[in-house]
Amino acid sequence: MATVEKYLKPEVIRQISRLDLRAQFIVKGFLQGLHASPFHGFSVEFSEHRKYSPGDNPDDIDWLVYAKTDKYYVKKFEAETNLTGYLVMDLSASMAYSHDQKLTKFEYAICLAAALCYLMIHQNDPVGLITFGEKIVDSLAPKSKRQQIGNILSHLAKLKPHDKTDIGRSLNQLAAMLKHSSLVMLFSDLLAEPEEVIASLRRLRHGGHDVILFHILDAAEVTFPFEGLVELEDPESLDTIEVDADAYRSTYLEEIDSFRLLYECECRQSGIDYVPLDTSMQFDRALTGYLINRRNWG
Amino acid sequence: MGFLTPALLGGVLLVALPIVLHLVMRRQPRKVPFPALQFVRNRQEANRRRLNLRHWLLLALRCALIAGLALALARPTLKGSGLRGKEGAPLAVALVVDNSLRMQYIHQNRPRLEEAAEMATWLIGRLPEETELAVLDLSRSSSGFVNEVGTAEARLRNLQSESSPRPLDDAVREAIDLLTDHDDYRQEMFLFTDLSVAAWDETAVQSINEALSEAPGVRIYVVDVGARQPKNMALGELQLRSHILRPGESLHLEALLEATNLLDAPLVEIFLTDKLGRAVKRGQKTVDIAPDGSGRVTFGISDLPLGVHQGHIQLASIDPLEIDNTRYFTVEVRPQAKVLILGERPSDALFLREALSPSLLADRTAVQFQCTTERFSEAMEIDFETFEAICMLDPPLLSDPLWEKLVTYADVGGGVGLFLGERAQAGGFNTSAAVELLPGPLKRKSRLETYFRPKRLDHPALIGLRDYADSIPWQAYSVFKYWEFGDMSGDAYVVARFANQQPALVERPVGRGRVLTFSTPVSDPLQLATREPWNLLPAGPWPFVPLCNQTVGYLAQNENRPLDFLAGETVNLRLTPQQLLSSFVLHQPDGESLRRTLPPGDDTIRIGTTRQLGNYRVASGGESKLLDRGFSINSAAELMRLERVDPDQLADSLPADQVQLARTISDVERTVNIGRSGRELFPWAITLVALVWGAEHLLANRFYRGAP
Repeated sequence: MATVEKYLKPEVIRQISRLDLRAQFIVKGFLQGLHASPFHGFSVEFSEHRKYSPGDNPDDIDWLVYAKTDKYYVKKFEAETNLTGYLVMDLSASMAYSHDQKLTKFEYAICLAAALCYLMIHQNDPVGLITFGEKIVDSLAPKSKRQQIGNILSHLAKLKPHDKTDIGRSLNQLAAMLKHSSLVMLFSDLLAEPEEVIASLRRLRHGGHDVILFHILDAAEVTFPFEGLVELEDPESLDTIEVDADAYRSTYLEEIDSFRLLYECECRQSGIDYVPLDTSMQFDRALTGYLINRRNWG
Repeated sequence: MGFLTPALLGGVLLVALPIVLHLVMRRQPRKVPFPALQFVRNRQEANRRRLNLRHWLLLALRCALIAGLALALARPTLKGSGLRGKEGAPLAVALVVDNSLRMQYIHQNRPRLEEAAEMATWLIGRLPEETELAVLDLSRSSSGFVNEVGTAEARLRNLQSESSPRPLDDAVREAIDLLTDHDDYRQEMFLFTDLSVAAWDETAVQSINEALSEAPGVRIYVVDVGARQPKNMALGELQLRSHILRPGESLHLEALLEATNLLDAPLVEIFLTDKLGRAVKRGQKTVDIAPDGSGRVTFGISDLPLGVHQGHIQLASIDPLEIDNTRYFTVEVRPQAKVLILGERPSDALFLREALSPSLLADRTAVQFQCTTERFSEAMEIDFETFEAICMLDPPLLSDPLWEKLVTYADVGGGVGLFLGERAQAGGFNTSAAVELLPGPLKRKSRLETYFRPKRLDHPALIGLRDYADSIPWQAYSVFKYWEFGDMSGDAYVVARFANQQPALVERPVGRGRVLTFSTPVSDPLQLATREPWNLLPAGPWPFVPLCNQTVGYLAQNENRPLDFLAGETVNLRLTPQQLLSSFVLHQPDGESLRRTLPPGDDTIRIGTTRQLGNYRVASGGESKLLDRGFSINSAAELMRLERVDPDQLADSLPADQVQLARTISDVERTVNIGRSGRELFPWAITLVALVWGAEHLLANRFYRGAP
C-alpha cells in the first residue's frame, strides 16, 4: 500500500515520464489510501454485489444476502447521472515557473488534470479539456469513452505554457461557450488582478456550472525561501524589484496569505470549491477536493 | 575620566568596519525569477523604509558595540582632580604615623603602633622603585625624604612612642609641605592613626582642610588602625593640695579616673619611693565608677620627714593601654620660712602677721611662715641673716646704717618688703642707701581714690592668684592714698598697678635678693582717730591673705611651685641662695644619671629632656645633700582619650576628592588602587557592551527570524 501511496508525492511522480502512467499511479495511490469507499453516498444505480472488504462502510452490507448466504456482501452502485467535466488549463508563462527546478506549476497541474481525467472517465463521466492564455486557445469536447483518456493525456503532454494571460476574459469566454451545467476544474496560479478573475468566476457559477478552483502556486511562492538581497524578475512582464529577502519574508507571507484568503472567502460566498495548492503538496488533496464536489453532485 | 590603557582607544576606529561593510561593501543582488511579483510590489516601499531604519539601527548598535568594546578595554577610570594630568608621573609618598603614647593600646594582641608600622612597611614594599619616601611621626624633630627604602623601613621599625607628641595636624602640614616641594610628582600621604578625638579635634580637621586647600595635588589616605570599641581605665592628672609641705603637714593627693567602656570598680594603689629607691606601698582604695565613666580617689599620707618625697599611684588591674595606669608625683617637705616684720608699733604688724601666720588656725602645721615682730628702733640689733624675708610696715625716716644693713641683707639673697605709708617722707627716703632698695625717689602722696588692679598675674609674686583672676573683687578694696615715684631706676619692674595705671607693686632685684615695694601700706587700721586709712585692703581675708602669702613667699624665695610637669615641658628649678652650685646630677626614671653643669651665677636649673615619664631627681654635693630636689613627669591626660571620632563624620568634614579612609590592608590596597588609577569603570563598561551586544543580537535575530 505504501508503495502505491508514494505516487501521491510530486517528487516521485516527477520521475515518471509518461503522463498516462503518472495519472494511473496518482489515482491508484489515492484510492488505495482512502479508508472509506470513495463511492459512498453517490447517487448511483445498483449494479451488482461484491464481497465486503475492510474499509467498506458496514451500512452498505446487504443483510438479506447475508441471511441467505451467511457471507457479507455490499451493494455496488453505478452512477446515475453523468457529470460533464472540463479541465481548464492556464497557459500563462508564470505557470512554467519552478524555483527548485523540479516540478513546475504547469507540470503539477497537468499531473492533477490527468489523474482527474482518469478518475472521471472511469466513472463514465465525460471529460473535456480547455486551455487558455489571453483567451481560450484550444478545447477538446467532453467524451466519456475510454479513448478520451488517451486524447486528453496526449493533448496535455503537448501543452507548453508560454503566453501572457487574461484569466477573466478567458473564463468569460468559457462561460459563454458551455451550454449545459458542467463541472469546471480550473488549474491556474491566478497571478492576475483578482477582481476580474473573481467576477468571471461568479459569472461562471451563475451560469449553473460547478467550479473547482485549483489554485496552484510554486512552493517558493508560498514560503519565499530566498535569503539576502535578491532581484526578483517577473517572467511574464520582465519587471524587476530589488528586495532584502530576509527582512521582507514576513511581509510577503502576509501578502500571499491575504491573497489566498481573499479567493477563499470569495469562492465560499459564490459556492466555488477553492483548493489552494503548491507544488510541494501531495496530489491527494486536490483529488479529495474533486471527490467532495462530485459527491455534492450526487 | 581617564584611561589606564589609552592606546587601546584606537580601537574605536574599528567602528569604520561595519560602516564600510554597510555602505561600500554592499552586496550585489542575486537575480531570481519570481512570478508572484505583485505581492512584493504592494508593500515594497513601506517595507524598504522600515528595512532601512532597522539597518541603520543595527549599524548604530554594531558601531556602539565596537566603540564600547574599545572603550572598555582601554579601562576607563573616574578620578578626582588631584591626580589629573599626572598619570605615569613618579610618586612622592609621605608616611605619617601617629606615635603618641595612646598608640600603645593593645588590640588583637598587638600595640597599635606596631600594627601601623607594619602596615606602613607593607605599603612601602608595594610602591614603585623610584618613589620618593618620607616617614614622619609626632615627635618634634622633622625629617625630609629618605634616600633609600631601607632607611624608611628602619625608621618605621624603630618608631618609639612619643610622650609629648605634637598635634597630628602639625605633622600632616609638614608632610604636605614636603610633598608640595615635589611638584611634578604624584603626591600621596598615608596617615596611620587611631582616629581618637584627642588627635582629630575640630582645630586639627580645620587645619588639615586649610593645608589641603592650598595643596590640591596632595591626596591623603587615612588608615584607621584604632580599636573600634576601646576599653580602658585611665588615671587623670593628679591634684596635690600643695607640692611644698611643712613639717607635720600631710600629703593630700587626689586623682580622677576615667573609664572607657569599662565599669569595674578598680583598685588604686599609692607607692612612695624610699631612700634606697624602692617603691613602698602606702595605701590602696577601690574606686566606684560613675555611669559616665568617671571616678575620684584621694589619698593622704602624714608624717613625712623633711626632704623630697616621690612616688606614684597606679591601677592594680591590667587594661589594653598600660601607659596611663600610673601617675607620678613629687613633694618637698620644707621647714617654715622665717619672716621678720618690722613696724613702728607692734599693732602695725597685726594684719600681715595674721595673714601669714594666723593665730587662730588650729592646725599650725599648715602655716608656711614663722613670723617675728620687732620695732624699727630695735632693728639694728637683730641678726637679719636668720630670716628669709623682712617686711617693713610703713617705715619712717630710717638711719643710713639700717638702710645699708638691709641692702647687705638683700645682696646675699634676703627678701625685703617695703610697705610705704603715712610715715614715709619724700625727702627723707632719697638717701643714697635707701635709693638702692627703692625703685625710685618718692615723688608725692597721691590722694586720687583708686584700687589695686593687677592686669596680669603671671609674675611669680602673684602667680598663685592667677587661677582666680576673674573672681577677685579688687574694686571693693579702695585705695585712697598711695605714693607716686619719680623716675624709676632701670632695673625696677612694675609687678602690679592701680586702676589708674600708677605703680602699686614694684620689684627691684638687689644682689641675689629681691626687694618688693608696695606704694600703699597694709598696716593701717580701718578706723583711725587722727586720719583716714590709706586703703581698705586688709578689710577682708580675700584676696588680702593670699596676696600677702604670695608676695612674702616670693620674698622668702619660698614659692609653692608645682613639682609635676607634662612630658616635653622644660622644667625650671629655682635654687635658693644657699644652693648655688656649678654642676649637678640628673637621675632619670630609667635609672640613668646625667651630669650637668650650670653656668656661673645662674640660679635656675633648666631641664629640657623630659620625655620619659616618671620621677626625676636632681642632686649635688653627694652625702652633704647640698642640693636634693625632684620633679615628676606625667603625660597629658587629654592626649590619652581613646574615644573615637565617627569615621563617616570625619570623611564628611574633609575634602572627599583628596582624603579617603581605610581600615584594613585590603582597604588600603583597594583605596590606593582607586586613588592612583581612579575608580575603574571596566565592569560597568563591559556590562554596557554586553547589553549592547545582546540588543544587537536580539535585533538581528528579529530581522532574520524565519529565515531557513
